[in-house]
Amino acid sequence: MTGQPDAASLADRHRHGLDTFAKAWAQALHRAHYVPISSAERYRIVSALAERLVGGLLAEAPDPTCGFGVGEDLVVAGFASPDALGRTIAVLNTRLAADLGLPADAAMCVRLTALLEGLAAGFTAAVHDRSLDAQDAVRLAALAAQTRAEQALRANEARFRHLATHDAWTDLPNRTLFVERLDRVLTAGPPSRRVGMCCINLDEFATVNDILGHDVGDRLLAATADRLRALAEPSGHLVARFDSDQFAILIEGTTCAEDAVKVADRALTALAEPFHIDNTEIPVTASAGVAERSIGSGDTAELIRATQIALHWAKADGKARWMLFEHERSAANAERYRLSAAMPAALRQGEFTLAYQPLVDLRDGHIAGVEALARWHHPRLGMLGAGQFIELAEHTGLIVPLGRRLLEQACRQASAWQQDEYDLYVNVNIAVRQLHQTGLVASVAQILDRTGLAPYRLQLEVTEHAVIDLTDQIRATLSGLVELGVRIVIDDFGTGYANLANLRALPLRGLKLDASFARPAPRIGQPPPPAVRRPDDTAFLATVVALGHTLGLTVTAEGIETASRARRMRAAGCDTGQGWYFGRPVPPGEITRRVAAQRR
Amino acid sequence: MERPDWAPEGIDLSKASVARAYDYWLGGSHNFAVDREFARQAIAAVPDLRLVARANREFLYRAVHFMIDMGIRQFLDIGSGIPTVGNVHEIAQKVVPDARVVYVDIDPVAVAHSEQILSGNEFAVAIREDLRRPEIILDHPATRALLDLDQPVGLLLASVVHAIPDDDDPYGIVNRLRTALCPGSYVAISHVTTDSRPQEMGEGARLSGRTTTPVTARTRAQVERFFDGLELMEPGVVWSPLWRPESPEDVGDHPERMSFYVGVGRTV
Repeated sequence: MTGQPDAASLADRHRHGLDTFAKAWAQALHRAHYVPISSAERYRIVSALAERLVGGLLAEAPDPTCGFGVGEDLVVAGFASPDALGRTIAVLNTRLAADLGLPADAAMCVRLTALLEGLAAGFTAAVHDRSLDAQDAVRLAALAAQTRAEQALRANEARFRHLATHDAWTDLPNRTLFVERLDRVLTAGPPSRRVGMCCINLDEFATVNDILGHDVGDRLLAATADRLRALAEPSGHLVARFDSDQFAILIEGTTCAEDAVKVADRALTALAEPFHIDNTEIPVTASAGVAERSIGSGDTAELIRATQIALHWAKADGKARWMLFEHERSAANAERYRLSAAMPAALRQGEFTLAYQPLVDLRDGHIAGVEALARWHHPRLGMLGAGQFIELAEHTGLIVPLGRRLLEQACRQASAWQQDEYDLYVNVNIAVRQLHQTGLVASVAQILDRTGLAPYRLQLEVTEHAVIDLTDQIRATLSGLVELGVRIVIDDFGTGYANLANLRALPLRGLKLDASFARPAPRIGQPPPPAVRRPDDTAFLATVVALGHTLGLTVTAEGIETASRARRMRAAGCDTGQGWYFGRPVPPGEITRRVAAQRR
Repeated sequence: MERPDWAPEGIDLSKASVARAYDYWLGGSHNFAVDREFARQAIAAVPDLRLVARANREFLYRAVHFMIDMGIRQFLDIGSGIPTVGNVHEIAQKVVPDARVVYVDIDPVAVAHSEQILSGNEFAVAIREDLRRPEIILDHPATRALLDLDQPVGLLLASVVHAIPDDDDPYGIVNRLRTALCPGSYVAISHVTTDSRPQEMGEGARLSGRTTTPVTARTRAQVERFFDGLELMEPGVVWSPLWRPESPEDVGDHPERMSFYVGVGRTV
């Protein structure tokens, strides 16, 4: 509106013509609107604009801004297409003056032209502004979308990273994250800084899974994770789940092993509280391996391995406990492992031989027999005694082929002595594992056959432990051996729990008293007051020897290192003696020489 | 590890967007040079493409009004594109101030743009989703917050179903959307076809292969199949200007040249 009273009244006078024009204009603007619009709405907008135009056209003082404003508002109302401007100019030019009944004189033509000029300028300016605003809007939208996409990408990466570094079930950090953190700890800071770690494992998790089901097992793991997290995280220790039921805690900045041990101990205590899952109480114990050291003394893998070795120790020692990794113990284990791994090749390459220790008749001191003792000519470690490798061979099972090889060697040697008419028997040790072999009797028979050794010259030594639990199979094996004519003696008698009934039932030849009988009994603790009687070693020894004899067995005393011990054992009634006093284990030639000497 | 399906995609502004090209055909400036280049090539193939776009837009306008007249107070507009003035929420809220509108588009820029426009409007929201995931759209927290699916909904599928190739089971998708709505809801569909102008529109469809959302033109029978299971409103599936025009001048001499089949169905 122009607001000019005279113009308004003029417009009123032209009301009818104005309406006719507005209709024509609205018709012209069909589909010139940016978005759909009803024809009624289109007419309403256009007729308001037409009134302003007429006001401007008829005003006494021409309003130069009128056309411009109408042009602008045309765009604002949505008639922003090129067609909208073109058709507006056309309809104004051809219809406005005529519809209003205005004179088509030169003055009116000037006025109309000025109006159109303003309208075109206003329309164009508004379209320009509108385009610029739209461009701003779409660019801002693109920017917002890009920012959002980048944020989503980063969140996604963070999520991936979390998935890659966390255990999905418990949401604890996984081994990857633990190793990363430990790597950082070990490579940062002065080498004197210390770090501890413990590796925790539930003791009977497989049983829980088997008996209560994997669902309960899984929930037990989640509950375990919760307890460990609650325990360690407030102190800033990293807790991780390595796999299945194995967890790890990283303890940074320790001052000594005790700091790490305390954490392990607290963790085991926390896990020892019974768990309640599905209204079922599940008692749990856990074991832990602990390692602690300065960060300069080894890498991540070594530290983790150390805790896992210590964990194995804890398990082997009976579970429900922690063990601190000790380098010496680990080194000894490693050496044992290396020895046992080298044994099969050593057997193939003939690195095992026998040494022979005299068994002396205590009545007259002549060599009645020998005990064949295993020796390993180790290419790196030199000569190893039986004590250094026989137990390993029993553990791995290599004792069976090794025992057979040594038995054949001993029999061949004894057979050689037999041919030279030396009256010697040979004692050979038989391991429990060998007794369990069904083929032992046949194997011994073949060896005797091959070597030509008289069976009675072969005495097989079995330990007390071997005959504690007499299975039918062992009984059959022992009987079979005796039927061959081979003699059986019990070795290390008095160290274990020899079943006296078994001693009677078995077809034994003799007993070898453990070396401890030859030494005075060790005293435990403070010496007792004089009023307390000490057990009489000599009487005890005599009783044991008498027991052997009562059962009809020969009695051999081992570990005789001095003349006085020899006298003592002879006095006790022992039949045979063995020990350094009578001779150390020596190559067979040495035995031959001594026996030959005593024959002369 | 498997890549989860929520992996976000980057924004490729070097590729034309049909949403922004559509804005250009309608006379808008919410577009980039790459969009205009595509839009002009499409106009070269189909000289009256601006009118085609406008006719499709007018159908949407009439369909929304029709639904409001039928008592619909909440709308789900999938494939909403660039929501310039006169969009669904403006049409609806002019009549019913608290009419609810959820806009859905696959184009992240279009969605960001919608959010700018809708900021401060508590009854309208825009989400970025893919028509191919109807359940995600329906269960989206924003959808759930604004729409009551126990009440009838106006589902608007304007110029969007042809963005689903046959391999992605467009009929199954429409069916899943339809069956999620309660009886008395309405579904409006507009769909491009080459039936009336095989050469020109065929070239236009081929050009769309350069955009982020290529189109699959379908025949009348194929478009009608989208209304299977719906009660088809008069006048059925027709050329876009012929669907309940306001006046004869809105139809024009050659409605078939507008190359969109449109229709509105009611859920039963």
